[in-house]
Amino acid sequence: MAHIPDGVLSLPVIAAGGAGAAIGLALGLRALDEREIPKTAILAAVFFVASLVAVPVGPSSVHVLLGGLMGLVLGVRAFAAVFIGLVLQAVLFGFGGLSTLGVDTLNMALPGVVLASLARPLLLGASPARAGVVAAVVAALAVFGTAAGVSAALALSSSDYVPALKIILLTYLPLAAVEAVITGFVVSFLARVKPEILPVLQPPEIRP
Amino acid sequence: MTARSIVLLAMLLNLAMTGPAAAHRLKLFVTVEGNTVSGYAFFIGGGRPQGVAVTIRDAANAVVHRGTTDDAGGFAWSAAPPGAYTVSVDTGDGHAVSEKISADRFAGPAAPSPAAAPAEAAPEQPLPQKAAAEKAADPAPAVVCAPPDPAALHREVETAVDRALARQLRPLIEAQAQAEGRLRFNDIMGGIGMIVGLAGAGMWAAARRRRTDTGTPP
Repeated sequence: MAHIPDGVLSLPVIAAGGAGAAIGLALGLRALDEREIPKTAILAAVFFVASLVAVPVGPSSVHVLLGGLMGLVLGVRAFAAVFIGLVLQAVLFGFGGLSTLGVDTLNMALPGVVLASLARPLLLGASPARAGVVAAVVAALAVFGTAAGVSAALALSSSDYVPALKIILLTYLPLAAVEAVITGFVVSFLARVKPEILPVLQPPEIRP
Repeated sequence: MTARSIVLLAMLLNLAMTGPAAAHRLKLFVTVEGNTVSGYAFFIGGGRPQGVAVTIRDAANAVVHRGTTDDAGGFAWSAAPPGAYTVSVDTGDGHAVSEKISADRFAGPAAPSPAAAPAEAAPEQPLPQKAAAEKAADPAPAVVCAPPDPAALHREVETAVDRALARQLRPLIEAQAQAEGRLRFNDIMGGIGMIVGLAGAGMWAAARRRRTDTGTPP
């Protein structure tokens, strides 16, 4: 699904995805100062392990993406975390191709990053409960953002894939629900016990 | 970072380890019995793609068979003339896999292997001697049943052996296909170690940069 193997995508799509992911990675690495490195590494490890576990859904199989959570906790640094996780999954387990790393990184990281920054006004100074609800919505929408990204990459590569795109959206529905619950609980927990972990809860001026 | 995050990470890790050691990858198991190419596609960790496209191409990359998988992800194509083929399964949602089968996986009358030729020629040499000996010993032939045609016998034995071997090897090849895609604890821990190492390298680089910037150790 979000791990697209080699030989499925056309060259222009791979090139565009690679360029987009490179920009995201550059922004992410620039924002990665000393204090943010451990947090990013821990989420990269969580993403690496959690998205290895897949459950069969209908004709396909899905796994958690954590795009929303990473966008909320890491901001633009999510690109670095997703990229490292994907490289290791591709090299160690053959999940997804090496040529599609750019497209996959973009599909998994970009929706969370964009949605988390859009949700910032709603989260500023929010109570933990409200933060959890907003985070759940962000996570669910990020899943659909990833689905849209995968669908677009496939549809642009070959029109043969268009009929199957409905299936993708259907299999992502339960996933969106699961991710919303996980992210909602994690974010409301963090907002209660350790709000400084979540940059989206802070006013921008006190961020480093 | 904080102890709570580490606890959270440990919990998630634990969940991943104790849950189904599943992965997100489509695999393909293909076997050849006689002239039938069959097999099934499966997701590592469970699930078979149903009703998805199966394409078989020959060595010249021309499509020789199109079909869909059944309820158990299986497919079969029985009209195969022996040759090298590539079986591809594409679920259409970004999962695709293909597997090559070589010509020597096929057997049977349609494909006498080169090794069979000398074996067929060999039994013919004693025949004239045998016939001459029979003629000399007894003018009334004591042949109860006609001696089997060596070539036919050879083919029959070869087909039977091939069939038996295919039946016996099938579970082995299946197990191999499953094992190839299994997630190994060592690999997962290696990946996490890699991430920790990268974080350490990044922090070291950041610390060095800051020291040269300010000229004083932090």
